[in-house]
Amino acid sequence: MSTYTVPDQDTGADVELDVFIDERDPERWKWRAISIIVVLTFLAIWELLPRLGLVSTIILPPVTDVWAGLTELVMQDTFPRHLRVTLVEMLVGFLIGTLIGFAIGVALGVWESVKKSVYPLVVAFQSLPKIVLAPLLITWFGYGIESKIAMAVVIAFFPVLINTMVGLETVPDEARQLMRSLKASRGQVFRKLSLPHAAPFIMAGIKTGLTFAVIGAIVGEFVGSSEGLGYLLHAYGFQLRIDKVFAVIVVLSLIGAILYFAIDWLERRMIYWRTDSSLV
Amino acid sequence: MNASGGQQGLIRYENVSMTYPSTRGRPPLKALEPVNLAIEKGEFICLVGPSGCGKTTLLKISAALLSPTQGNVVFNGAPLNEPSRSIGVMFQKPVLLPWRTVEKNAYLPAEISGTMSSAIAERVAKVLTMVGLHDFATALPDQLSGGMQQRAAMARTLAYEPELMLMDEPFGALDEFTRETMNLELSELTHQAGITSLFVTHNIPEAVFLADRVVVMSPRPGRVSGIVEVPFPKPRTVDFMRDPGFTELTFEVRNILSEAESSSTRVAEEQP
Repeated sequence: MSTYTVPDQDTGADVELDVFIDERDPERWKWRAISIIVVLTFLAIWELLPRLGLVSTIILPPVTDVWAGLTELVMQDTFPRHLRVTLVEMLVGFLIGTLIGFAIGVALGVWESVKKSVYPLVVAFQSLPKIVLAPLLITWFGYGIESKIAMAVVIAFFPVLINTMVGLETVPDEARQLMRSLKASRGQVFRKLSLPHAAPFIMAGIKTGLTFAVIGAIVGEFVGSSEGLGYLLHAYGFQLRIDKVFAVIVVLSLIGAILYFAIDWLERRMIYWRTDSSLV
Repeated sequence: MNASGGQQGLIRYENVSMTYPSTRGRPPLKALEPVNLAIEKGEFICLVGPSGCGKTTLLKISAALLSPTQGNVVFNGAPLNEPSRSIGVMFQKPVLLPWRTVEKNAYLPAEISGTMSSAIAERVAKVLTMVGLHDFATALPDQLSGGMQQRAAMARTLAYEPELMLMDEPFGALDEFTRETMNLELSELTHQAGITSLFVTHNIPEAVFLADRVVVMSPRPGRVSGIVEVPFPKPRTVDFMRDPGFTELTFEVRNILSEAESSSTRVAEEQP
């Protein structure tokens, strides 16, 4: 069992989650089979409810129709453009948000005076539901890609900021004393102790930030845009092309999953030591 | 000449006292009454006393991690105002960086002082062999047992041949058997290298086993209530623990401790 620290999505506070991971679980095949059966049952019910006339196909199109809608969608000439626009918004927003969050997090985590003077503002900003900023950002940055990037930045930077700050602040006292007894400079303490200590926290913040950037880009497109997957979703909804709505949702969840697993892979590469260690 | 009979000592405490300033409305805390002590080159000093008697405070002052409110610490004839690279510190925890291998943890002091070289790498390899971690040089700390982790911390200190080694209950968290083995090894290693040692513990047999002199401290505010000489040859072996003289010395330390405790209780009771 491993303990993972994740920021709570509402409060930003760190929450510890106990996750059971055992790669050599002797029953893993059994559970894998059961989970596949659960998914298939879910899809079967989805298919049958509208087919048997229990639910209108306008409200819930059968899975097979969604699949047809999906193939139709990805074959459209305009699809690559919509996909590209949304990907650029998400990724650029995520990168800028991560950099801003990291920079502010370092400033808050390293300099006590910066924390004392700026932290109340940061908390006030966090308690704001960021979606209310969408119309404002569109007024400022226009109808195009920039306002969506801004929206992604605005929600993605916070988890990185808070986790960077907390990671830098939780360096154990004895490790600091060791560095002092070795006459390490402030820069050396930061590079050789604080930053690597904070790395697992920062990576967890980046993971959350990525999920948030996806939400930011889509919400930005909902509020006002002429291209992108969020725009398509909105447009198909108005046209009552619910099969296409579901098709876009499938594409979006695939994008989310791929990005998340990419970051997760990177994290496993970078954080190769046990983070619940009591050594330091 | 001075009170210590003309000898200056490698490290000398002159009226060193410590009062922690008041925090959050709590009154200032007097941790250490004036301490006068000289530790000679090559000596092994154990500091024993009940919890909260200022042992750790005195050790941190010796490392210049804390500065005393009054008095001076003289190291190698000069006032000790900042941490010195000739002073190695071992903490209660191993304080190994979990992202560095055992070997790279031992390189840390050299990396920080900018003196990393192949000579250092060779010395680290030698010291790791001495503490029995030769095969674990490239292991991560969390792959080691608690005793091995403290050995790695010991190697990180010993590789730089400190003149003075400060140890704050380094084996306190280990089980009794591992602790005994570690004490034997420590006794041998410091004796061989001629390293002057100040070792904090609240385990009386451990103190008598390791020390040339056991310095007994009274409960808070800490002061030196007695010094017990341990005139047995070094390095010590397990046989020493079976010697009647060993038992007698532990009783002697025990008696000084209880006397100090009861007199400090009296003082506390006399206060309104």
